[in-house]
Amino acid sequence: MQDVNVVIVFYSRTGTTEKMALAAAVGAVQAKANIRLRRIPETASDETIASVPGWKENHDRMSWEYIAPREADAAWAEGLVVAIPGWMNLSSPEVKRCLDTLTEGKIAAAIGPEGLDRALMAAGLIVEPLATGVDAAECARLAGFRVAEAARAARR
Amino acid sequence: MITIRKANDRGHADHGWLNTWHTFSFASYFDPAHMGFRSLRVINDDRVAPGKGFGAHGHRDMEIISYVLEGSLAHKDSMGESHIIGPNTIQAMSAGTGIVHSEFNPSPKEPVHFLQIWIEPAVEDVKPSYHQLSFEPQEKRGKLRMLAAPYGDGAEANGAALIHQDARVWASELGAGESLTQTIAPGRFGYVQVARGNVLLNGQKLGEGDGASISAESALTLAGEGSDGGEFILFDLA
Repeated sequence: MQDVNVVIVFYSRTGTTEKMALAAAVGAVQAKANIRLRRIPETASDETIASVPGWKENHDRMSWEYIAPREADAAWAEGLVVAIPGWMNLSSPEVKRCLDTLTEGKIAAAIGPEGLDRALMAAGLIVEPLATGVDAAECARLAGFRVAEAARAARR
Repeated sequence: MITIRKANDRGHADHGWLNTWHTFSFASYFDPAHMGFRSLRVINDDRVAPGKGFGAHGHRDMEIISYVLEGSLAHKDSMGESHIIGPNTIQAMSAGTGIVHSEFNPSPKEPVHFLQIWIEPAVEDVKPSYHQLSFEPQEKRGKLRMLAAPYGDGAEANGAALIHQDARVWASELGAGESLTQTIAPGRFGYVQVARGNVLLNGQKLGEGDGASISAESALTLAGEGSDGGEFILFDLA
């Protein structure tokens, strides 16, 4: 089975969405993908970050553990998983940054607020539906798995 | 037959934050003549700058052993394991169906020097697992201290990590003039990697970073060489 490249792009404040991104990454690895995890950099001010419990420590940690998406990642990716918090507005700068990193024609999955899947489709991506009837982490894992499998199938 | 792999003949990459030597083909170093030895697929001799490391990445179907020589290494993985390991600790992970992990040098000042060893598993799709065991420095002094052994081999009783392959891994530190002998069963193979200092393997000199693949030998005599001797990793492979 040929390796396939999957990039997981996420935005997380307190680490909840990061866990979903990691679950998606595990799913993609289970489907024998090479993975890259990329974090959308923070746009909030230091004061705002300090005002929410757990945000600053996770922000500092994640800033150390992850890099931001680069142009080379979009070119490398054959599949994409986008993970953003479910409460986020699709017009927020973080989501816009996320969408800006994507390349049309790629297979993708959307973990986040309602309408994120349509936003990805509007960006020219082929969006895999999410699994239903499972918990959030399992849904994310399956999203990573399915994107890897679909990206591999799309090659043939 | 003992075939020596000199330290400077290994693949080498210096990325600034990472200075790495590859005994076998790895990342951008590719040499069809050095793809591994028996089930031993990777020995990377890595030095990572303070605060730097390998961000989250995936592995599948590989037994991954990390052995810190100097400094410390922070490990975090998708199984929920989060640890900082230092010298005289075995860390072994069976990637099996798939794991995601990161490895960083948590020190703001000190570099970390560690060996990362990959052994191909005999079976695919095992459930991912993590083993970490520490030992006292004197347990490897002048003798072999088992680091990893297959399931069902009494590895746990020896304080060693369990791996899904018919392979055994030991560490040993021999002072000047200290020696030990290990038998190799007929049809089996060995590999010696010098972690630091100098050792003699059946009379042949091995310096820091040198390795040696071993076939059709019934016994290995290892001795500390030079003024300070040396530390090495020994593999017994099917």
